[in-house]
Amino acid sequence: MIDLHGIIYAYHSDPALNELVVHRTSASLPFCSRYRLIDFALSAMTNAGVRDVGVIMQNNYQSLLDHLEGGKDWDLSRGSGGLSLLPPYGLHDSSFGRYNGCMSALYAIRSYIADIRQDNIVLYRSDLAVNLDLKEAFRSHVSSDSVITAVCAEKVNNCTSGFCFLSGENSRSNQMVFAPYGQEGLSSMEVYIIRKSVLISLIDWCRANGKIHFHRDALAHYLENGGTIGLYRHTGYCAQIASITDYYSASMDMLTQSLKSELFPKNRPVYTKGRSSVSTYYAKEARVRNCLIADGCYIEGKLENCIVFRGVRVKQGATLKNCIIMQDAIIGENASLECVISDKETVFSAGLVLTGSSKLPITVPKGKII
Amino acid sequence: MKKECIAMLLAGGQGSRLHALTDKAAKPIIPFGGKYRIIDFPLSNCANSGVDVVGVLTQYQPLHLNSYIGNGQPWDLDLQRGGAYILPPYQSAGAKGEWFSGTANAIYQNIDFIEMWEPEYVLVLSGDHIYKMDYSDMLRQHKANKADCSIAVLRVPLEDASRFGIMEVGEEGYISKFVEKPKVPESDLASMGIYIFTWAKLREYLIADENDPSSDKDFGKNIIPSMLSAGEKLWPYRFSGYWRDVGTVQSLWDANMDMLSPTLINLYDRSWPIRSRSPIKPPHYVGENALIENSILTEGCDLRGRVQNSVLGNSVTVFEGAAVLNSVLMPGCVIEMGAVVQYAIIGENARVGSGAVVGSPPNGEDSWGITTCRPDSHIPDGTIVSPGAMIYSNREVKK
Repeated sequence: MIDLHGIIYAYHSDPALNELVVHRTSASLPFCSRYRLIDFALSAMTNAGVRDVGVIMQNNYQSLLDHLEGGKDWDLSRGSGGLSLLPPYGLHDSSFGRYNGCMSALYAIRSYIADIRQDNIVLYRSDLAVNLDLKEAFRSHVSSDSVITAVCAEKVNNCTSGFCFLSGENSRSNQMVFAPYGQEGLSSMEVYIIRKSVLISLIDWCRANGKIHFHRDALAHYLENGGTIGLYRHTGYCAQIASITDYYSASMDMLTQSLKSELFPKNRPVYTKGRSSVSTYYAKEARVRNCLIADGCYIEGKLENCIVFRGVRVKQGATLKNCIIMQDAIIGENASLECVISDKETVFSAGLVLTGSSKLPITVPKGKII
Repeated sequence: MKKECIAMLLAGGQGSRLHALTDKAAKPIIPFGGKYRIIDFPLSNCANSGVDVVGVLTQYQPLHLNSYIGNGQPWDLDLQRGGAYILPPYQSAGAKGEWFSGTANAIYQNIDFIEMWEPEYVLVLSGDHIYKMDYSDMLRQHKANKADCSIAVLRVPLEDASRFGIMEVGEEGYISKFVEKPKVPESDLASMGIYIFTWAKLREYLIADENDPSSDKDFGKNIIPSMLSAGEKLWPYRFSGYWRDVGTVQSLWDANMDMLSPTLINLYDRSWPIRSRSPIKPPHYVGENALIENSILTEGCDLRGRVQNSVLGNSVTVFEGAAVLNSVLMPGCVIEMGAVVQYAIIGENARVGSGAVVGSPPNGEDSWGITTCRPDSHIPDGTIVSPGAMIYSNREVKK
């Protein structure tokens, strides 16, 4: 059994995702016709054989709860261990259940961390579209005898919020720099494998010193005191989704076969919540080119370069170009949409014309009837 | 534990008329309509009707069926108090193990399972029909009629009636006569193979039938006629929705094609979902030069060629320049460059080599028929497979 425990930060909603995170956190953002971003983190754990996973949530987590249920779709519904949902239960002070930073979130679940039966923990962001070989990353962590291993992205697709590591001897680093434009070093994916005992001492040090940030405070303190960080390079596709434009471009990337197969390799499948639906029906009038389409749709119109989620209905004469259409939307007769991101359960009336641009796609909030 | 009504689903038949498609797996788990397998229909109907104990009787090639049903989770039948149970033939103390010798014998051998639930009523279903039905409504009528047995019936065209078990109904409303596949049918009420029995009665008849050495141990041939002749009350339950038997290659193809007319059977209805165990696959991809018309596609497909009037299961690949017309492609098929598949059923994970031609449109000849390829078969590049042929791996069997 792998000596690794997963902790996923799922409490964050990137404000630049605007309407898309009004009803959800970044973790439960729908992606690529049928997935949620957290599926990539959970599937990486499952594929690596991680049996116990904690998901830290804070607020706005109804959609996440609905998606995760007991974790059965990731084989994490277990009698012993499995998936643990971690709402802010451990904050006794004046923070009113809000985390100011990653370290305060970890402090809030300190008792949970102390009880973890594994010696290593992977801290995982949930706003990444990446298919990480976590088993290999963990092997590198163990074989290099690292206390902390940073997973870095070789290929940067708008990835990282800017922390990079300068590689020293044997792929280890004792220097972290802030380089938001990828000028130097290896970009951190902000996925870390860390020894449990070290994590707890960093949590306690941060608490004692009123520090709340993982990189600026905890890691900086660790490095200042002579610690080194092992570096694991992820070579496949990786996109961090922190804004509408990130979301749009990462989604459209999936229409490129080579990128899609990096995110969905055959040997590391991505699991998600099952939904019973019928297959998708294409009517005689349907004309579809270069699209990804989920089950349960009913297509009578014309689609080009689109990502279509489950249960979408595209009526006769409707034309969609470069659009992302989430679950159960209805596109009326002869409507014409270009560069539109539609959230779930929207209705576009017959004849409606909406044109955005790829730099500034039009975002339509959940349930909107236009 | 006490349950008012439990279901026994007969899923052990070979489906020998489907030959190549069922030589490795039982008929009830043949893929159907893109996303489904045949057994999804009765299982979903049970779950939707509130029948939450389903004994699934297996016998012929049960491996795939067992793993498909698993713990019953896709149909919400993974319960602490109830659920789906696989019931294979077994060996009992002191006796040699025995195969199920007929549909009635299969239930007889599972009397102990049934009595675990102390049911008042037992619903007997078969695993080879496509339909949506509320069994709770049938049960309501069964109770209101104080019936000993209720049989779901459907009106069929009189000229087709000789293919079914045909019922005549007397003035009082209950069944006066039952003839299995009559040469000259006198009624157009066909049995759908769906029965509700009052358990105490059925138990009696099963035991009597078991002790009758001349009996075929079959519901249609033995149990129903002997109940009728003994004067028990058998009521018809009239059903008027979509129902298809998919026991032959032609009827399996026909029913798949029916799925292209969503008005025949509404599978989009969220209040009566038909659930299936499906692998989690990425969305299907339709390429730059693909043409998809009047077809059903499922997740995991990668389509670069032409697909018209066809039903595709998950993870089917159609290469550029290939054409799939009026056909049923089961999960995992690959149709290579320039191949043409017409009026065919291609089994799971079969591969049609580039330039091969499988099947042809109806040409008026008697020998014409739907072409079928066995699961995992490989049609070599450039091969021409004639209409009506049935491909078993690399042996071709002419009809």
